[in-house]
Amino acid sequence: MGNLVQAELRKTTTTGLWWGLLIPTVLVALGGGLLSGLIGRAFVDLTSSADAEQLSEMLGVTPDQWKFSLFGIARSINLATVFPLIFGALAVSGEIGRRTITTTFLTAPSRMHTMLAKMLVYALWGAIYGLAIMGFVALGVVLTSSSGQLPDSGGWAMLTLVCVVSSILMTMFGIGLGALIPNTAGVVVLLTMYFVVIENAVLLGLRIAGTPETVVGFLPNGSVNGLTGSVVVDLFLSKAGVVPEEAITFLRMFAGAGGAQSWWLSGLIFLGWVAVAFGGGWALTARKDIT
Amino acid sequence: MHDGSGLIAVQNLTKQFGSVTAVQNLSFTVSPGSVTGFLGPNGAGKTTTLRMLLGLVTPTSGTATINGRQFHQLGQPGRVVGAVLEAQGFHPRRTARNHLRVYAAAIGVPDTQADQVLSLVGLATAADRAVGGFSLGMKQRLAVATALLGDPQVLVLDEPANGLDPEGIAWLRTFLQSYARMGRTVLISSHLLAEVEQTVDQVVIISRGQTMYYGPLEHLRQQQQRRVLVQPSDVGALATALREGGVLTIEQLVDGRLAVSGVDSKHVADVALRAGVSVYGIQEEQVDLERIFFQLTSGQYAGQAPAPYQQQGGWA
Repeated sequence: MGNLVQAELRKTTTTGLWWGLLIPTVLVALGGGLLSGLIGRAFVDLTSSADAEQLSEMLGVTPDQWKFSLFGIARSINLATVFPLIFGALAVSGEIGRRTITTTFLTAPSRMHTMLAKMLVYALWGAIYGLAIMGFVALGVVLTSSSGQLPDSGGWAMLTLVCVVSSILMTMFGIGLGALIPNTAGVVVLLTMYFVVIENAVLLGLRIAGTPETVVGFLPNGSVNGLTGSVVVDLFLSKAGVVPEEAITFLRMFAGAGGAQSWWLSGLIFLGWVAVAFGGGWALTARKDIT
Repeated sequence: MHDGSGLIAVQNLTKQFGSVTAVQNLSFTVSPGSVTGFLGPNGAGKTTTLRMLLGLVTPTSGTATINGRQFHQLGQPGRVVGAVLEAQGFHPRRTARNHLRVYAAAIGVPDTQADQVLSLVGLATAADRAVGGFSLGMKQRLAVATALLGDPQVLVLDEPANGLDPEGIAWLRTFLQSYARMGRTVLISSHLLAEVEQTVDQVVIISRGQTMYYGPLEHLRQQQQRRVLVQPSDVGALATALREGGVLTIEQLVDGRLAVSGVDSKHVADVALRAGVSVYGIQEEQVDLERIFFQLTSGQYAGQAPAPYQQQGGWA
């Protein structure tokens, strides 16, 4: 097994894909972080003006204590994890597309061994992407936020944890989908469209129709966003005093966790999706005729 | 684990792709110590058979084993069997050395083995070039190098001459023969008998997914009767003289020559001399393996001659 893990690791380090995708990842993360800080600051400036007095009375804290940049952090992480998703999606589909899968299967004790080795190596890459995303989002936010808007060390640790977990899970989800749809361009477009556009359009549709959004929390994007979004809402609320229920719904929307369950439940739901995608891809790859 | 015999055994192998039967009840064995040619026209089922042997395609029924085991039971397959297949890909931006190091790791052989096989196939100077810039022949050499990484006992090559230049083909021929002489098993497929005739000792000939012949190439050669083609001054007189001498298989060819089977040219010339017939030309017909091959395999996709041009009904 160690042999195959080393082989898979070498596959990922001997082509430029890992850094080719890491560049847009850190750019999005950094940009998202910078923007989060700026918007957070603008929001605080706005609400600190006279009109917000009523709101701050209601919440029991003054607006400058609000950590609004947290919402941007969650959004930035959610957007940036699309890149580890793509990285994972190319793991199997890329090998099938370039027909290197033949040699891969000829040199492995079984296809199960290959898939397991890929899973381990790509989990590592997912973690590396996750740490890079967190690092650059944090850098962006720190550069543009006032210190009062930043989370404390416990908050940072929690954010780092969910960022890395969500990045790893996104990578795994990608591997599964890439094995199910062994067409590199097809699977990349489909996944990007789904995670960036399609599910958000569904969410918007539900909102307009006035139907409960809870269903979104059980969909792939909704649940993985709930992982980061719910943590952010929790962190925000822990410093925001008493917040009425209706306001919480809005806050969850800001955090991109509209309709989502608590962070750990969201994580488990997305893990379920990962299991379905990876299991399906695994089963298909195990039986597929390589012609 | 496997028995280390180096034996390839294909038994009653059948593969259906939907309604298409690619391979039908195919059986043959390949022994170590010789190069076996796996021959048949394009579409005869060669590639599918080899891919079933290598665990890449699941047979509909029957078995294909190497060393008494199916591919997925070999444990470390890369150390038992090496394969060069058609449509076996390379990542265009990975260098040749890195490509080999990936699979050296998978097989569990030291990285130095990558450089050794590169030298063996004559690609040492191109080791650090990306494979995307390789010619077809260079890619084929790299595929051979990959197959040799695990120093396997059994070598399977599907149409390896495709894309190789004459120098490469000559090299491969010598290499495979010496590889087999070390007591290893070499199975090489081709759709052209002439291409492998000088390389192989045994042949398995298939057509329409079925075995047509399987055995030593020499036996196949002997099956073909030799003929003497002679151009006499008097066809009738020579034929009569030959018949009187007990030679009965005489055939008159369209060009006026006689084709005489079962005797050599010396005998025919002697008979002609005694009969007072002049001989203007005489030759022994060469053994034409390609023709036997063609007879064994023809008919799968028998084309038709173009129909004569006929004007149809005008512009009604």
